Amino acid sequence: MTSTSAAGVGHPKKTLDSLTLRYLVLIGLILIASVGFSMANDNFYSLTNIGILLRSIAVLFLLAMGMTFIMLTGGIDLSVGSNVAFAGGVGVITLTATGSAFLGFGAAIVAGMLIGAVNGFFIGRLKLSAFMVTLATYALARGLALVIYDANSINVSNTTFLWLGGVSWGNMPVVIPFIALVFAGLSVLLYKTTFGRDVYAAGSNFNTAFVLGRRPERTLVWIYVLSGALAGLSAIITVGRVSSGQPWAGLFLEFDAITAVILGGTSLFGGRGKLLGTILGVLLYGIIINGLVLTGTNPYLQSLIKGAILLGVVLLDNYTQRGKAA
Amino acid sequence: MSNRIDMKGIGKSFFATRALDNVDFTCVSGEVHALVGLNGAGKSTLMKVLGGIYQADEGIIEVNGQQVQIGVPADAGKVGISMIHQELSLINELTVAGNIFLGRELKRGRTPFLDKREMARQVKEQLDRFGLALNPNRPVRELNSGEKQIVEIIRALMSNSWLIVMDEPTSALSEEDKERLFEFIRRMKVEGIAIIYISHHMPEIFGIAEQVTVMRDGVIVLSERTGETSEAQVIQSMTGEELEHFVKPHKEISGDPLLSVQGLSKPGVYENVSLDVRPGEIVVMTGLRGCGAPELAKAIFGLDGDYGGTISYRGKALKPGRGPAAAVRDGMGLVTENRDKNGILPPLSVRDNIALPYLEKAVHHGVIDASHIDKVVSKAISDTSTKTSSPDQEIRFLSGGNKQKICFSRWLDPDLELLILLEPTRGIDVHAKADIYRIIEDMAQRGVGILILSYEIDEVVMLGDRVLTMYHGRRVSEYAYPDFEKDQMLADMAGAGQPH
Repeated sequence: MTSTSAAGVGHPKKTLDSLTLRYLVLIGLILIASVGFSMANDNFYSLTNIGILLRSIAVLFLLAMGMTFIMLTGGIDLSVGSNVAFAGGVGVITLTATGSAFLGFGAAIVAGMLIGAVNGFFIGRLKLSAFMVTLATYALARGLALVIYDANSINVSNTTFLWLGGVSWGNMPVVIPFIALVFAGLSVLLYKTTFGRDVYAAGSNFNTAFVLGRRPERTLVWIYVLSGALAGLSAIITVGRVSSGQPWAGLFLEFDAITAVILGGTSLFGGRGKLLGTILGVLLYGIIINGLVLTGTNPYLQSLIKGAILLGVVLLDNYTQRGKAA
Repeated sequence: MSNRIDMKGIGKSFFATRALDNVDFTCVSGEVHALVGLNGAGKSTLMKVLGGIYQADEGIIEVNGQQVQIGVPADAGKVGISMIHQELSLINELTVAGNIFLGRELKRGRTPFLDKREMARQVKEQLDRFGLALNPNRPVRELNSGEKQIVEIIRALMSNSWLIVMDEPTSALSEEDKERLFEFIRRMKVEGIAIIYISHHMPEIFGIAEQVTVMRDGVIVLSERTGETSEAQVIQSMTGEELEHFVKPHKEISGDPLLSVQGLSKPGVYENVSLDVRPGEIVVMTGLRGCGAPELAKAIFGLDGDYGGTISYRGKALKPGRGPAAAVRDGMGLVTENRDKNGILPPLSVRDNIALPYLEKAVHHGVIDASHIDKVVSKAISDTSTKTSSPDQEIRFLSGGNKQKICFSRWLDPDLELLILLEPTRGIDVHAKADIYRIIEDMAQRGVGILILSYEIDEVVMLGDRVLTMYHGRRVSEYAYPDFEKDQMLADMAGAGQPH
């Protein structure tokens, strides 16, 4: 018996549709923003600019995908921006010391995962607040980065190390197909494996997941490690893009990642959202920021506009989801 | 002072669903009007219209013959209507008087300072008027759920409400608290208060209500004085059909115990309790709230390791507090007593809710086989006759009975050996109850050992192959089917002849 009873089923299928609707609206906004900016600036639609745009938001794609996993569990990771600087520092120092790009890659990713493991241990195992723990590691990782670099940037010339973040095939930066691969891999992880189902379960109701024998505390540890690993990858790309390791790399990226995830329709309260939404959120957000730069908007206004976007989206979500809470 | 409220021709639709259709409902002061119906019949929608949470599409509301507009919840308060919610809305850190005067505190003269003494005095006066013993200066966090409910009602009365809506008020109360609540309701009637009482419990309805109204599929199917109808008639109107009587099938139980608990003790909670569950056997623990049985069940499931004694399962002693993951791996399942707190995953679909404990078994080459899951889920939905528009439906939109069926259908896995059920039919209607009983009996027939905690005596005798009564953490007596004596069981549960 799978018939709908006349009463009792209040809003059939509503949320499924509302996520799809959300994605359609985002695609529409992306088109509108592109057309708008291309009218304001002829360079906007040039292949060169699209390459520049995608390269500039490459790191944001990675961090926002990690943030999606975390926000699906109802958590938050404020440490990712600082972690990019820290992991980059460890990678660059290892590269300089050993001369091996691959050891450098490995070191950067392991360093990123280490910060993630610290977050995961305190949040998943000791059940501390994700906001407080990652606020602490946000400062801690930045501090470590400044110590490692001694507050100076380090130039990198190893072409293998710079390949991922710096090389383009024609107008296409190699990092873009790489990100598509990561997206595909993370999609399989989130939608096709038991780990992915456990991420949704932990964010929907931690207690239920626990009594059903799902070990949600373990799931939490792993998603922060995943977020840290993506910060490590981001560090490699960041170093490649500017050919140097910077102690202030990744500043405010956690803000951009959180905004893009929220823009993509992932719920702040966990259990609801998809990676596709995050991709669309990053694209729209990136186009707006890139467009503002190209149209010569006062750069001091950028932060103000970013803040306004976040506030607007949160307000909108609150308004549109109010009716569904009953 | 006599008041009345009339809802006339109320209609309300959600998208294509007609939730209320031409509903007339009247309530007069000095009476209890019981509102009953299966989950999803429209009771809550009607009360939300009355409380200003929903707007009716058609119809009017009149108070003492004057039409009123109830557009927002505050409007309901202005005309004297208060809703007492199941999830209580008190602030734990404030005192009883502080909660009652929240938002309209009394000040000392024209100073900004609170006049706590005067507020406490006024609250005391009200409590005395209804013969309630409660200290206005106690912090609410120290009160039990029955006392909290009383505070909510007093708050409503002191803000000049004359109509109180109570939704399943006894669902979390002990027997003692229930009696106190009924006495309070009788006193309110004398004082001219009108009460709308939503409940599934026939004895309560026929014990305190003057009028009973039954809703089904958004319309009123019966509205009668309680003296002029019967329990059978009310139940039949609710379901629209003769209720299929659940009859316990015959079965032979033999073999070694699947679960064997020896001398289990936790100071102040339970003491020296032993019990066995054999494959296919239904063992019911019962007692009053606070008898220690739920804590015992949680220890068996590995949620609590702080006990003395031993728990053996399949002939081996279990490690105390090994956690639910180990329990599930060993073929145990648990249905908790509080669906919303730790039973369901609200934003997720019916499919995800059902499949969660089963996922590992559907993994091929590291990824989940979606068609395998779909098969398991649709079988679970049909085996439990769960009503859902599709497996993609979010579980939070289902009625309580259907949510509960989903909590059961997770454990239909053939590898399950022991199922622990805490209050398996709490807060669900008679129709869903019959389905739940059938599901439990089917599982037992398949050879699953079942340990149930239930506080409802009729359910206890209907389901049990063996019944254990508990009082203050001690096992009092054991009964084997069919030699159940309800009166003796109730006496055992209440501690008759037991030292205190």
